[in-house]
Amino acid sequence: MRQLNYRLVARLTGMLLLVMATAMTAPLVVSLLYRDGAWPGLLLSAVAMAAMGLLLRNGLGQHATYDLYERESFWITSMVWLAVPLGGALPYLFTGTLHSFTDAAFESFSGFTTTGASVIPNPAVVPQGILLWRALTQWVGGLGLILFVVAMLKRLNRGALQLYAAEFSGTQQRKLHPHIATSVSRMWHIYTLLTLALAVLLILAGNGVLDSVCLALSTVSTGGFMTTQLGMSSYSQPTLGLLTLFMFLSGINVALLYSLFTFRWKQLRGNYEFWVYATVFTVAVASCTAAFCLKGNGWGHSLGYSLFHIASTVSTCGFYTDPPAVWPFWVSVVTFLLILSGAMAGSTGGGLKLRRLMTLFLYLRNYLTRMLHPNAVFTVKIDRKVVPGEYVNKIFGFVFLYLCFIIGGAFLLTLCGSGIADAFCLAAANISNLGPSPLINSLGANLDYAALPVLSKWTLTVLMLAGRLEIFALLAIVSPAYWRIRR
Amino acid sequence: MRNAGDWKAMLRFLGITLMAEGGLMALCAMPAVHFADGTLWRIAACAAVTLAVGGALWRAFRNEKVIKDRRMSYLLVTVLWLTLSVFATLPFLVTGSTLSLTAAWFEAMSGVTSCGATVFADVGSLPASVLLWRSMTQWFGGFGVVLLVLALTPRLGINKYALYTAEASGADNTGKSAVRTTVTVRRTLAVYLLLTAVFIALLNASGMQMWDAMNLTFTNISSGGFSPYSDSIASLTHTQQYLLAGAMLLSGVNFTLFYLLFTFRWRQVRHKVDQVRFYLLVCLLSAAFVVLSLRYGSGYGWSDAMRCGTIQTVSALTTTGSVVGDYTLWWTPAVFLLLMLGICGGMAGSTSGGLKAMRVLILLRNARGILRNRLHPNAVNPVRLNGSPVSGHITNNVMVIFMVFGTTLMLGVMALMLAGVNATEAIGASVGCLTGYGPGLGASGGFGSYAHFSAPAMWVCSGLMLLGRLECMTVIILFVPKFWRT
Repeated sequence: MRQLNYRLVARLTGMLLLVMATAMTAPLVVSLLYRDGAWPGLLLSAVAMAAMGLLLRNGLGQHATYDLYERESFWITSMVWLAVPLGGALPYLFTGTLHSFTDAAFESFSGFTTTGASVIPNPAVVPQGILLWRALTQWVGGLGLILFVVAMLKRLNRGALQLYAAEFSGTQQRKLHPHIATSVSRMWHIYTLLTLALAVLLILAGNGVLDSVCLALSTVSTGGFMTTQLGMSSYSQPTLGLLTLFMFLSGINVALLYSLFTFRWKQLRGNYEFWVYATVFTVAVASCTAAFCLKGNGWGHSLGYSLFHIASTVSTCGFYTDPPAVWPFWVSVVTFLLILSGAMAGSTGGGLKLRRLMTLFLYLRNYLTRMLHPNAVFTVKIDRKVVPGEYVNKIFGFVFLYLCFIIGGAFLLTLCGSGIADAFCLAAANISNLGPSPLINSLGANLDYAALPVLSKWTLTVLMLAGRLEIFALLAIVSPAYWRIRR
Repeated sequence: MRNAGDWKAMLRFLGITLMAEGGLMALCAMPAVHFADGTLWRIAACAAVTLAVGGALWRAFRNEKVIKDRRMSYLLVTVLWLTLSVFATLPFLVTGSTLSLTAAWFEAMSGVTSCGATVFADVGSLPASVLLWRSMTQWFGGFGVVLLVLALTPRLGINKYALYTAEASGADNTGKSAVRTTVTVRRTLAVYLLLTAVFIALLNASGMQMWDAMNLTFTNISSGGFSPYSDSIASLTHTQQYLLAGAMLLSGVNFTLFYLLFTFRWRQVRHKVDQVRFYLLVCLLSAAFVVLSLRYGSGYGWSDAMRCGTIQTVSALTTTGSVVGDYTLWWTPAVFLLLMLGICGGMAGSTSGGLKAMRVLILLRNARGILRNRLHPNAVNPVRLNGSPVSGHITNNVMVIFMVFGTTLMLGVMALMLAGVNATEAIGASVGCLTGYGPGLGASGGFGSYAHFSAPAMWVCSGLMLLGRLECMTVIILFVPKFWRT
């Protein structure tokens, strides 16, 4: 049996740490410009990360060969997803924003997994440099750390697909270009373009520059870190409108967005998932607006809030504003279902993803027909293409494990004193990388993540990571076969 | 569905079942005489009506014996349970135990699905005949479901396409103990009667009145969970409680297995060894957790912790729902675990509800296989059960049942919340009713009852009971338009 190519693992992890250290110069510059006093801490973390990165890249990974198989791809995925968020926690500690390691790690993992659950009580008093860093972690995590690696290394082509699959496990991805690195670069381009567009529009809508940039980074990555204490209620209507639009857009498959931007409209017509997504969104907004209105809230506020809330939930972004005065229970029902479903596969959002749910639904339909006609043979077809049987099985397995994680996570949360209903909502909101949601508030749980006990925070951290890595990459780390270096 | 013969055969079958139900109802007249509770004529009237309707149906269609259309057999299963509950409401209404149709329906459904959720806050004030009737509905409901799985399903041709996937086909081809249906029925009935008799005798020997022994055995051997006392089984002696725990534990075991054991066919047992091991392992580990949590989390003494912990765990896993201590006051993780045990359920082909141990086992092994497959993409990892591979088809079907079960559970919670039940109680009630555990959380958990539920909430609950007992798909297929198209 081949030995694990640990040098490559070290080299890629180190490389990504170096990239993140470089990225930290942006908050550093901001910190110096705003004179928020956080620059020594940021500089120190950047140096520490760079040192660690150099050690891994040029020390351990000096003579790495680019042989990459499944085992390596899992090692790389897990190492990168552990090392980078842990490194990303340093600025919070070194600048004194957060005082305990648990809190810093929670904030950092929440950022990189684009969850957006924050333990910073009042972001308004946090140094501006840290705010930008927080938003930046989401942006990098949005498309995925591994996609970063893949985009950087053109010569990884053969193994890149495996790496790509390790992070985006559950769904069949349509490549934009036969060359995987090229298609991943294109994804990054469209992602950057969206972010820039939103930032500029937000500035034009009259928001501060730094605020706009932070919000744009949080929105397009469907992260959901907010820069004020009271959610988004202090922003103007046009700002909220823009955010709603971009949250909806970031729930769309990045590859599909690319074809839209290159004017290949046909792709849109053939993509059933998009229509399901649009329908789900419309129906959810319509029913929630109706529910709000029936409880006696005004039309305008009801519609505006429903649009914002549903876009934020279905894309698993996690922004919230002031809800209308009376909260109908129906909205909680819709919210919870959307938290579980999530947006389109291949988008930056979390959740189970609509494509998987469509597959399951079609399989269920076949099952029912087969109960009536036992000898009939059916296949599941999406976008006029057959989904192979073992693929359906994998999706089933994924959903099963996803629910197991929610149940297991909820169990651990009850160990720390959460009620059963709250525990389920918290676990679901964090595994789907949603983060804060008014749903949790309406059930009486504490939106304030900072007040949770340490074990709860770590449980939620693991759930976030499980949700972001779509479980298998995370489970691979704990499976015995993974640790068998030489078999 | 245009075939008149099928309808007639279905009515004949209903007639036979109703006659059996009427017969059992007539037996409930005996305590009315013995305790002189003044319900003799009323209960006799109920029995007479049931017998008359059943007899008439049977008489009218006695020559139509074969159901040809598969769809009819799906319909039959659901209609059967509905009809049984309709007639089971009679004693509650006629004796004036409850004046509300909704409450009577809830109690009747909870009985025939051997769920165990009750609307009577003060069970002690019910007349003896009604108490026995409650126990009786669970007893024959529990037996009915075993029959359905072991004998009727194959006969009705449903097994041709893995409806009871894990049991009647493929995954476990020793589901039936005999080729002929009548033989299977007879053997199952024999096992059931034997178990019932043994436990009545044992409880009686431990100093319990014959009356209580009968009631409690009926409800515990069928994993039902009704009790003639408002505090369920908490006021019994410890020996009696442990005896009932034994009854519950056995009620979660596959009935064919009993037959094999009683007839000393040890070697065939190995076809079920995976299930048994899983069932016992889950039971043991969870009991250990609950006992420890009671000892160190809730401040119980060792002996009380052992007793309450083990018995309540067994009660939850087998979805019986007998309550030995007010578990709603226990440490939350222990309560959480009890709920999850209900979802897991006992072995397939037993009287217990939930997903069933075998399905959970298949789900877990499938997940493990997928994980292995990701590490070694070219390896072939079929799910194995008792040493032989399970086809991918069956695995997927188990998955479908799991998904549908999970979705139903979730929708149940939401429907209950829309009907005005609070979140915690809605979760408890949905799990309690869908899995057949019975009591839930909050005021409807522990020694509580569902009396305070609104009428819509009760209807949702009784719907969940039916769905849970018939394993969802049989009921759901009736709502597919294609089902009714000729």
